[in-house]
Amino acid sequence: MATKLPAIASLSAADVLVATEPAWLQTWRQHGLSAFTAHEMPYWRRTDLTAYAFADMQLTGDVGTFKIGADAPAGVIVMPLSQAVHDHAALVQAHLGSAVSAKVSKYAALNAATWRDGWFVYVPKNLETTLPLHLTQGFGAGNTLMARNLVVLERGAHLTLVEQLHGDGGPYSNVVSELILVDGATLKYTGMQTWGAKVHHVGHVVANVGNNATIEWAAINTGALHQHIEAETNLVGNGSRVDWMAATVASDGQRLLTAPWLRHVGRSTEAHMDFKTVVKGTGYATFDGMIKIEGGSTDTVTRLEEHALHLSPQARSDSIPGLKIDTNNVQKAGHASTSGEVDDEQLFYMQARGISKAEAVHMIVMGFFEPVLDRIPLESLREQVTAAIAARI
Amino acid sequence: MSSELVIKDLHASIGDKEILKGVNLTVKPGTIHAIMGPNGSGKSTLSNTIMGHPSYTVTSGEVWYKGQNILELDVDQRAKLGLFLAFQYPVSIPGVTVANFLRAAVNGHRAVEGKDPRETQIPMAQFRKDIREKMAALGVDEAFARRYLNDGFSGGEKKRIEILQMSMLKPSMAIMDETDSGLDIDALKVVSQGVNTLVQANADMGVLVITHYQRLLNYIKPNVVSVMMEGRIVREGGPELALTLEERGYDFIREEVFGNGN
Repeated sequence: MATKLPAIASLSAADVLVATEPAWLQTWRQHGLSAFTAHEMPYWRRTDLTAYAFADMQLTGDVGTFKIGADAPAGVIVMPLSQAVHDHAALVQAHLGSAVSAKVSKYAALNAATWRDGWFVYVPKNLETTLPLHLTQGFGAGNTLMARNLVVLERGAHLTLVEQLHGDGGPYSNVVSELILVDGATLKYTGMQTWGAKVHHVGHVVANVGNNATIEWAAINTGALHQHIEAETNLVGNGSRVDWMAATVASDGQRLLTAPWLRHVGRSTEAHMDFKTVVKGTGYATFDGMIKIEGGSTDTVTRLEEHALHLSPQARSDSIPGLKIDTNNVQKAGHASTSGEVDDEQLFYMQARGISKAEAVHMIVMGFFEPVLDRIPLESLREQVTAAIAARI
Repeated sequence: MSSELVIKDLHASIGDKEILKGVNLTVKPGTIHAIMGPNGSGKSTLSNTIMGHPSYTVTSGEVWYKGQNILELDVDQRAKLGLFLAFQYPVSIPGVTVANFLRAAVNGHRAVEGKDPRETQIPMAQFRKDIREKMAALGVDEAFARRYLNDGFSGGEKKRIEILQMSMLKPSMAIMDETDSGLDIDALKVVSQGVNTLVQANADMGVLVITHYQRLLNYIKPNVVSVMMEGRIVREGGPELALTLEERGYDFIREEVFGNGN
C-alpha cells in the first residue's frame, strides 16, 4: 500500500527511514538524506528543472509494480531490492551505491534516501545464461516513483537483461540502475524508457566494468514528456569493453535528454558508441555526451557516432559531444556526427522503385534504428517496440 | 494506348543553369535506343529528369508515356507506370535489407489506391522464389538478400543489384544511366546479359541506354543511336553511328552541328 510521505522540501530522517530495514541501510539512507539536503539545485543547461520541481512532487511510498517477463534463468537471483536487503544483505551492502553515489546529484541523493521500488539481480560466478531476463517497472497515476535497481554479475558470469520502464503512471519517476560487472563478466543490457506521455523521468544508469568484462548496451528511449537521463559506463578494468547504442524518438511536446558519460580508466579499454535520434513535430532531443580518457588509461580505442534525423521543420535536436584526454597513449579516438532531414537522394531512389514517399520515409527511419532495435533480445518485445515506433513516425 | 516514350522540347535546369535545351526524342517499344554523348552533354540530366529527380527543374516541354504527361506525376507513380531508372550511382540505404527493399518495391508496384495492401501484396513464398531465381541468374550470392542495400557494396555489386531490381520489377521502359561506368569486363557481361534476358522475355520492352563509350553497346546492341550535345539531341542513326563515334570521336559531329571553332 502506498504510504503518504510529506512534501519533499521538508523531508526528515523520520520520514525516510523504514523501521524494519537493517541498521546499515538506515545509516545509508541517512547519508542519502544528508547529501540531498546539502546539494544545491543542479544546473541543467538543457533540461527544464521546473518539470521536476520538488514542490509538486509528493512521495507516495511503494507504488511500483514489478514484473518478471519470463522465468528467470536458473541460478540467477531476481527479487525486489527491498527484499534482497534482508535475504542477501552482504551482497547488497557490498554493491549498493558503488556505481551511483548520493554525491552525484540532488536527484540521485533523493533516490538514495527514499527509494522503495526496484529489483536486485545477481548472477553467481561463472554462471552463463542465455535466456533473456525481462524486468518491467510500472507505477500508478498520481504517484512519484523512487526505484533503485542493482544488477551484479560475478566473475565470468553472462546475462542478457532487459530493464523496461513502462506504462501511464506518474507523473514523477526517479530511477537509478547500478550495473556491476566483475572481471570477465558479460552483460547484454537493454534499457528501455517507454513511459506514458505525461511522465517526467529522471534516470541515473551507471555500469562499472571490471577487467576483461564486456557490456553491450542498447538504450531505447521513446516515452515520457520530459526525460533527463545521466548514463555512464566506467571502463575501470583492464581490457574492459562497451558497445553502446541508443535509439531516441521525441515527437510532439517531448523533451528527451540523454547525457552519456564514458570513462576510460583501465588499460587497453575499448568503446564504441552509436547514438541515434529521430525528432518529429515539436519534439526536442538532446545528446549531451562526454568521453573522458583518464591518465592511467593507455592503448585506448574509442569511437563515438551520433546521428539525428529531423522529420519536421519544428523538431529540434542538440548535440554536445565532449572529449577529454588525459593520456598521451590513445590508440584510436574517432567521432562522427550528422544531423538533418531524410536524404533526398535516398527518397528519390526509393520512389524511383515504386515505393511511395510516406513508405520510403518510414523505411529509412526504421532502417536508421534497425541496428539498435536488433539488439532487443526478445522477439515479441522487439516487434512491439518496432511497431510502436513505426506508429509514431 | 501507346507505349512510346515521347520527349517534346524538354528544357531543364539545375539551379539557374539550363542543362537540357530542348530535347526531342522518341523511344519506341521493343527497341534498344542508345544515347551517346561527351561528358557534360546532359545525358544524366535527361535520365534524372525523366524519372523526376527533385534537384532538376523542368522549365518547359513534355514527356509522354502511356497516354500521360509523366512530368505531372510523382516519382513513384512514374515507376508504377512501367519506367525504371538504373542509377549511375545507386544510393545506399543502411538498415534496409536488399530483400525488404525489393519486397517494398514489388508491393509498391502492385499497390492499388483505395485497396487494402494485404490484398495486393505478393505472397511471401512467391517473392522468395522469384528473388532466389533472379539472384542465381545474375550470379548474386543469396547472402546479399540480407545485407543492407548497397551499403559497402563494390561498384560491380551495386550494378548487379540494379539489374536484379529491374528483373524483379519488369519495367516496360528501362533507362540505363551509364551502367557501364565502374564495371570490369566480366561484370559488364553479366549485367548486359541480365538486360538482354529481360528484353528477350518482353518483346515490347523499350530500353534507353545512356553511355559515354561504345563498349557497352557491344553487349547491349542498340537499334537506334542518338547523339546528345550541349543539352540537345543532334544526330540520330543506326548502330553504325556508335561505331563511327568510337572511331572518330565526337569532334566531327560537333563541327558539323556547331561549325568550326566552337
